[in-house]
Amino acid sequence: MGHGKDIKIAQEQFTVPAKGKKFAMIFMAVGALLTAVGFFTMKSGDGHHEATAGGHHATEQHAEESHAEEAHAEESHAEEAHAEESHAEESHAEEAHAEAVKHEASHASADAHHIEDHNEPTEAFGPRVKYNRKPKSKLTTFLTSLMVNGYFYLLIALAALFFYCVQFIANAGWATVLLRVPLAIASFIPYAFILVFIAVLFGYSDIYHWAHYNHLGLEKGQEGYDKILAGKSAFLNAGVLLVVPAVLVLIYFLMGRKLTKLSDAEDAAEKGDTSIFKSTIKWSAGYALVFGFLLSFIAWLFIMSVDAHWFSTIFGVYNFATGWVTALSVICLLTLFLKSQGFLKLVTDEHIHDLGKFMFAFSVFWTYIWLSQYLLIWYAQIPEEMIYYQMRFENYKINFFFNLALNFIFPFLVLMTRNGKRSRWVLGITGSIIILGHWHDVWLMVNPGVFGPGQQVGLLDLGLFMLIGGGFVYVVLNALTKRGLVATNHPYIEESAHHDVGV
Amino acid sequence: MGLVDKGLSLRNRGRLLVGVFEDEDHVMAATKALRSKGTDILDIYTPYPIHGLEVALGVKRSNLSVVAFLCGMTGFSLVILMIWYMYVHDWPMLIGNKPVRFTPSWVPILFEGTVLCTAFGMGIIFFLRNRMLHGIQPELLDDRQTDDRMVIVVEADNNVDEATMLQTMKEAGAVELRERIGGVQTVL
Repeated sequence: MGHGKDIKIAQEQFTVPAKGKKFAMIFMAVGALLTAVGFFTMKSGDGHHEATAGGHHATEQHAEESHAEEAHAEESHAEEAHAEESHAEESHAEEAHAEAVKHEASHASADAHHIEDHNEPTEAFGPRVKYNRKPKSKLTTFLTSLMVNGYFYLLIALAALFFYCVQFIANAGWATVLLRVPLAIASFIPYAFILVFIAVLFGYSDIYHWAHYNHLGLEKGQEGYDKILAGKSAFLNAGVLLVVPAVLVLIYFLMGRKLTKLSDAEDAAEKGDTSIFKSTIKWSAGYALVFGFLLSFIAWLFIMSVDAHWFSTIFGVYNFATGWVTALSVICLLTLFLKSQGFLKLVTDEHIHDLGKFMFAFSVFWTYIWLSQYLLIWYAQIPEEMIYYQMRFENYKINFFFNLALNFIFPFLVLMTRNGKRSRWVLGITGSIIILGHWHDVWLMVNPGVFGPGQQVGLLDLGLFMLIGGGFVYVVLNALTKRGLVATNHPYIEESAHHDVGV
Repeated sequence: MGLVDKGLSLRNRGRLLVGVFEDEDHVMAATKALRSKGTDILDIYTPYPIHGLEVALGVKRSNLSVVAFLCGMTGFSLVILMIWYMYVHDWPMLIGNKPVRFTPSWVPILFEGTVLCTAFGMGIIFFLRNRMLHGIQPELLDDRQTDDRMVIVVEADNNVDEATMLQTMKEAGAVELRERIGGVQTVL
């Protein structure tokens, strides 16, 4: 290479440094502690101002009871619930069921109010959304939080594998010296998915109000019949919710395994043999295709269906943008950590600089999609699609703008300069903020839809974030020990080692 | 320093020494050798970018990013003015009862306007300062410097004496050495 530099490509064997173990342990311990404290200090129906006032209680608990005990009586209960405006009827109902419903306010599940929320006749300026959702139990809060966190780490792992693939599809050489890092992050895919799956399996009737609606089995013309939910029921049902994402993630997981095996085969092959490299390009293109097109299904089913009356055609892209910029930050942070521990000697400031450029660029990309999602609704004059934004803008104003500040304004201003992108300190701090910001972004996609107004990021959310984060670090660092840290037989390893972005 | 970098022009210079090379490694070696002896290299012309050459040459980082920022701000302001004049002041249009001032629909136009001005401003100023803009007479030292030859130019009146400089370039692999006085080149 005519670069006037003589760089020796040497294999490195990674062992989990004591600092890494300690970090994972502390993160998990603090996370577990926060989760426990958050879980036990949380009041049942936490964060619901005035929602529990008056007759609401009765109807809520009827619905609950009916879900838990008597399926046959459900419809009549639900009908009672719909007559919520009429206080007379409610107090009557309260008397009738007072005895039966005193126990366990915690096992909330069926939420008759959801159905009513969106069943208002459309008024001149769009539908009037009433936020009279019922308080959720501790278990629901826990499962929702688990779903948010599991989904967040799932996005990171999937997008990290996408990063790996992109380098092959684009025939890019610069990142070759650090390619083992995204590959290791991808090993978290099954763990993250199992967490989401557990949360959805046990909590789907609480997290998704369409699940309860389907359960009611209302016919057209009956009170409480919801045209929108009925129209979507072929897609939004328990079967699709549980099977489609599982199948997709299984495909992603198997493709990830195939790519890992190819990478191992390349290490074992002779130097100069490009057949494995070519095969990797094909598999990478396959993954990019499956990931790019079908990630939307996971986003729709797990996240968008929380607000089932609303839909956004670019929700999948929005989720991709969130996962992608977070994965870039995680790759950057992990690379910086490995370098600080004396590994990845071939990674220079030039590679770190390029990762910083990626973080900067895709923070802007996220903002672009973030605005576009709203802009489509704004331009097209679809007031009924304002539900999602109305809830977040009116009841979560601080979170809404905090989200923008954390994910756009901060990285945009800090990473704009060249020095910012080359400083390990600045990148470390900005990367952490991007990760936290996008975690909060996923939180904001889900929680207002599940809980209505008044929910806040709690110790439980933070605790689970750290607990799973500790596990994430542990799994990823262990995955890094399984093979050499440098893809020494990769055809572009020389190019990457000599990577130079100039003055 | 004007907008056009006169320092880059070869006009009004005294005696110049020109070394013509065929290989980027030789250019690199010559640059390093000349610099290590303390020579001020006037410029190097290559048909394609050579990695690490700007470091070896000791070139300072360009201020193009500052230009980009200023152009972007200009574009942003111009577009605000444009939308305000067209859409708020001159002919406000009521579409679906939406407000006209600072609405989300301004954002794409602001974005595009900013990017447009940044890209054009940067491009034009970059070429202007490098004396490569359309209309500026190019000063080629070698007809093949845009094809497969690389050229190092040093001023004869330098920290190092002429013979040493020529010798250094020769040793590094120069295929031809010339002197240039007032635009006329003579092979040495």
